[in-house]
Amino acid sequence: MSFETLVALRYLAASRRRAHVALISTISMLGLAVGVAALIISLSLLSGFQDRIRAQMAERSPHLRVSPARGPILADPDRVREALAALNGAVAVEPAIEGRGWASGSGLESTLPIRYRNGPAGELAAPPGSGPPPARVSSAVATRTRTAPGDVLRVTSSRTRLSPLGPLPVTVVFRIAEIRHAAVLEKTPDIEVPENAARLLSGLPSGARAYEARLANPARAELAARAVSILLGPGYRVQTWRELNAPLSFALRLEKGVIFATVALVIVVAALNIVSNIALTVVEKKRDLGVLTSLGATPGSLARIYLTLGAVIGALGTTLGVLVGVSASLFLDRYEIVTLPADVYLLTHVPFAVHPREVAFVAAFALATAVAAAALPARAAARLAPGEAIRLSR
Amino acid sequence: MLAIKAESLSKTYMGEAAPVTVFQNLDFDLEESVFAGVRGPSGVGKSTLLHLLGGIDRPDAGRVEIFGVSLADLSARDRARFRNERIGFVFQFHHLLPEFTAEENVAFPHRIAGVSARDARRRAGELLDRVGLADRRSHLSRSLSGGEQQRVAIARALARGPSLLLADEPTGNLDSESARGVFDLLTELHRERGMTTVLVTHNPELAKRCDKIFDMSREGILPATRFSG
Repeated sequence: MSFETLVALRYLAASRRRAHVALISTISMLGLAVGVAALIISLSLLSGFQDRIRAQMAERSPHLRVSPARGPILADPDRVREALAALNGAVAVEPAIEGRGWASGSGLESTLPIRYRNGPAGELAAPPGSGPPPARVSSAVATRTRTAPGDVLRVTSSRTRLSPLGPLPVTVVFRIAEIRHAAVLEKTPDIEVPENAARLLSGLPSGARAYEARLANPARAELAARAVSILLGPGYRVQTWRELNAPLSFALRLEKGVIFATVALVIVVAALNIVSNIALTVVEKKRDLGVLTSLGATPGSLARIYLTLGAVIGALGTTLGVLVGVSASLFLDRYEIVTLPADVYLLTHVPFAVHPREVAFVAAFALATAVAAAALPARAAARLAPGEAIRLSR
Repeated sequence: MLAIKAESLSKTYMGEAAPVTVFQNLDFDLEESVFAGVRGPSGVGKSTLLHLLGGIDRPDAGRVEIFGVSLADLSARDRARFRNERIGFVFQFHHLLPEFTAEENVAFPHRIAGVSARDARRRAGELLDRVGLADRRSHLSRSLSGGEQQRVAIARALARGPSLLLADEPTGNLDSESARGVFDLLTELHRERGMTTVLVTHNPELAKRCDKIFDMSREGILPATRFSG
């Protein structure tokens, strides 16, 4: 242990005997602990919600999508399909057949521009017997076309076909099988239809605009994307589910950043306490600083005494804050303490998720802030005139 | 070689209302291995002189050379190292660090020099033995008597084996018996170690026992008068 650390620790231990310093030390330590705990709990709360949104995102969107770098359709769709199917961990590979058109309900009173695409194979099976093919529509489309499950929806493609009467738009009638609720920023098509209907609407009897794959482990999407890119070479655009949902991912990150910046202010306020605590010790121990200088201590080592003091107070406060924050988050999540009305939120309780990386970041931030706070009085200690400190302390 | 060569020293402090000039154009030389006493009325700058000689304060003008080394020419770091190795300070009010034991206080100069904690403690223990405080090693400095505290302070000043000892009224705060004991210890150690010692004192009895005595006044520091040793 260096002599600077020895002096810092002894000052902190001895402050118990000086009531006012002890009180301020305790307040600055507790202040930091409260800030750290608040930050960990807020981030855990946010992570709890965001983890669910991300899980939904990973569940609903394809994990990999290969589209042509230029042009509307894939030049060699079979090669792309084989490349994706050959991936380690690929669960399903499907073509994406999509386009734009207009949707209207049975009344034809309102026509709505929409995006359509083929739904996952097997999910939109035609009902037994004849009748219109099934479609899954977004809640926004259902509301604006005034349709409900079981109703008929007419989708007119932007593509035309030539008839004896001239070019006619291609129209397919669907029966609404399901209405889907999506998050605001989620990038889902307005209408999902069976593959053959999508091919009819887009005039693409074979091939595809893109191929999409689902993976057993969505977390490995980036790795898989690199492998596919290398395999296919240039001319293709390979996107992961994170890239496909970039606006939502960005919004989630932004939300976390804003919460961090706001709650971190508590830590900054606690750091101001540390400044006053250490400044008080510098004033009280002015004579000691002069004496240490007379014994050969450099201004730098005097500063280090107070930086160490700040770091020790910071470490104690941070440790306490991390313990309280993490255990409170785990407790709130485990025992589902904060309940939610299930019909409004689709969740019965507020979820908390503790991410070790975030906890480590908060701890590092708090510690760095404490040391930075100590830097100001430490500089003053280093600049002290030792002769004067001894002369005035007679 | 001169142990101390101080030329044209001037020092002014910023007082509360106006600047206070402590002394101007003060010269002071001292040969090696001399036990010198400095006496004079309060406020003439005896302590300030010691601080300037020890490099813990800077003169506004003039220069100080200790064993041929000009303090002003050293960087802050080198000056600190020079103080650690060559100069020992004893103050009137002992100025021990109250949170530390006698042994820890004496070990500080070694710890500052980078000596390991264990080695520093061993050396500090030996010095405390020498000043007669072997049984007080682990006592907190504030639990010691005035005389004992000053002995610990002397041990601390001598920890690194300095060539120059600057003692600022080390007996000024002690009863006459303790004062004599501390003075005897200082003179013994001075002879044992062949140091140069500058001692500020108000006590005429003790002053007489110095090799050389200097009288300091507003006009400056009077030429040395030799006393019988």
